[in-house]
Amino acid sequence: MITSTLEAEPLITLVGPPNSGKTTLFNYLSGKNYKTVNYPGATVEYSISKLQKKYNFEASILDSPGIISLIPNSPDEELSIDSLYSHPRFGIPDLIVVTIDASQLSRHLLLAKQLIDAKFNVVLVLTMTDILNRKGFDISLPDLTNELNCNVVKVDGRTGKGIDELIKVIEKNILNGRLKPRQNPIRQNGNIHFDKLIGYYKEIENIEDKVIFKSNKDANPSDLETANKKLNILNNPQARNNIGIDQTTLKVDKILLHKAWGLVLFFFIMSITFTSIFWLAQPLMELVDSAFGYLAYEATVLLGNNWFGNFIANGVISGTGAVLVFVPQIIILFLILGLLEDTGYLARGAMLIDRPLSKIGLNGRSFVPMLSGFACAIPAIMATRTIPNKRERLLTIFIIPLLSCSARLPVYALFLAFLFPMSKAWIAGLVLAGIYIFSTISATLIASLVNKFNNKIIKEVDNSSFILELPSYRIPKLKVVATNTYHSSMAYVKRAGSVILLLSIVIWFLTYFPDYNPQVNSSSMSQEQAEQLIGSERLSHSFAADLGKFIQPVMSPLGLDWRVGVSLIPTFAAREVFVSSLALIFKVTGDKSTLQTSIIREMRQATIAGTGKKLFTTATIIGLIIYFIFSLQCISTLAISRKETGSWRIPLIQLFVFTAAGYILSFVAVNGLRLIGIN
Amino acid sequence: MRTAAELKYGEKGIINDIDGSHPSSRRILEVGFTPGQEIQLINMSAFRDPIAFSVRGTIIAIRKDEASCIKVL
Repeated sequence: MITSTLEAEPLITLVGPPNSGKTTLFNYLSGKNYKTVNYPGATVEYSISKLQKKYNFEASILDSPGIISLIPNSPDEELSIDSLYSHPRFGIPDLIVVTIDASQLSRHLLLAKQLIDAKFNVVLVLTMTDILNRKGFDISLPDLTNELNCNVVKVDGRTGKGIDELIKVIEKNILNGRLKPRQNPIRQNGNIHFDKLIGYYKEIENIEDKVIFKSNKDANPSDLETANKKLNILNNPQARNNIGIDQTTLKVDKILLHKAWGLVLFFFIMSITFTSIFWLAQPLMELVDSAFGYLAYEATVLLGNNWFGNFIANGVISGTGAVLVFVPQIIILFLILGLLEDTGYLARGAMLIDRPLSKIGLNGRSFVPMLSGFACAIPAIMATRTIPNKRERLLTIFIIPLLSCSARLPVYALFLAFLFPMSKAWIAGLVLAGIYIFSTISATLIASLVNKFNNKIIKEVDNSSFILELPSYRIPKLKVVATNTYHSSMAYVKRAGSVILLLSIVIWFLTYFPDYNPQVNSSSMSQEQAEQLIGSERLSHSFAADLGKFIQPVMSPLGLDWRVGVSLIPTFAAREVFVSSLALIFKVTGDKSTLQTSIIREMRQATIAGTGKKLFTTATIIGLIIYFIFSLQCISTLAISRKETGSWRIPLIQLFVFTAAGYILSFVAVNGLRLIGIN
Repeated sequence: MRTAAELKYGEKGIINDIDGSHPSSRRILEVGFTPGQEIQLINMSAFRDPIAFSVRGTIIAIRKDEASCIKVL
């Protein structure tokens, strides 16, 4: 596939410190057609793409997590640095493009200097020169080119100005590089000497003094900063020609990082984030829902009431529809996370919550992975690579599956719609927020428990550290965020879509065959009653029922029967399949009402065979919600947890402890509720 | 000599030395805290830890424990 064509094609790797405009540049170079292993929150693995066709130069570009220097400090940096020397899949890059924020020159040149000294083929891209200009400074490209002895190109991240020149420079450098015999880059020693780092900075400061100059024509004379600068120079003759900090950022931080209110605002922003996911998605969800309801109905009409029509309407359309209904919520979740990340607030969130998190054995850097955990545990577990301390990283991975991921959303939404009819939808919204808070609190409690009795589960101990840049606030780049959201949502739809389709077909098969045709004396009942009787007779003779007999003893203590049990089995592949399985088992047939209404109607009518008691009651539904909050029923999460922790120990503990906790707490809830008279 | 952890809210200082025995000292240097740089304590979290400094035109948040390896004049 891709790898074979790549061997002939030049490989360009993008490198840069965090917040240096690397991802923006990647989007310009790749257009929309990139393959990504990225999720909102952090660039955790890599994205690979071909250079856009319009540039008339064939090459592959690789984007990887940001790094500060060539000496790694955390697993994600290690991955990034290793891939510079030789990417495990794509080999050695022909060219390294380093993004450098011009207004952060003295800090960002460290990486560029190290790369050049290590004998990489390097092209420098200067970003955010507009910010530098606004601060009253300018930079001389020819001087910088001379000082560093490598090509430097200015690129404007907002307009894309400079990209065409960059392509020319890239092309020239790659062709030149291919003429010369290839030199292997030199690995930096991990124990780089202190004085050497300080020496690097001295060199960089010299370069900075030569290439950066005051440009009074752009500076606003009444600018506070210019005044401050003059004061600085007068007050501190030793201080160097510092480029000031963005004044707006300082002002906004006075509010958002206020010593007392900062934390209150933090919780306020988080609650707004989560509640808006539900309010904003509501109308879109109804639209998708009725579309699928209509499709299923049309399919039955068109194909007739035979096995094929039944398969298409129930197995395929209702099955996929039951899950796709939740795509709007997932898109909005990804969108909001991306926007928050892009404004620069998430880093502040991490700072605000570092102290409490470190008390329970986590780290401020656990915050972004945990937040992504509300979208999906898989990218969230990958994002923990930004946590340098191994123990804190493992503990973060351990609790992430407890956070309410988006695959649980369809299930909760169905249960809440069952408990609260449409007229009380706002209560459902509040309860849903309550479920999120509850799952977060339980995750924290479990983290602190594990932290207390740590030695059995997580053994690692090393230096705990929190060093994080708080980037300047900025208006989020809608286009970039939208592209990322599109890619993540599509990844969700593709993954969920195929699994759900497959499992729906399996379940449909189990419930439809061996195609038993019951003889029913229907003379004394209406046609509807007769159909229902035939339906339940058919189901009780199906393969699913045979399977169900094994599960019945496990389900009875929770007040449930084998039909729910059979629906729960496929959830270990993907939780959201529960909804489509229910739809199939309770034979939701196509009529013109929306899918969710039909499922709920069938759920209300369902009774436990032999007793005539209602199957779905307030108590059993609450029990099911609790089961879904705790239990780990996701094979992909187990696989990624195995990969990221390096052994089966942690994923197996997660599987058994969380699932057992879900079962036991559900049992306690159902029977407790019944004791106090809530059925 | 004081450390950066002892600076007051809003106070400035010039870095004199970095204590190389601290496990985070290399990263502290790499993000830009080098001798001769002027820093200012500009933000504190609600729990007074971590604290954020302006250094080299940006803001870096670090824990108090880590700030204690930065000696300031």
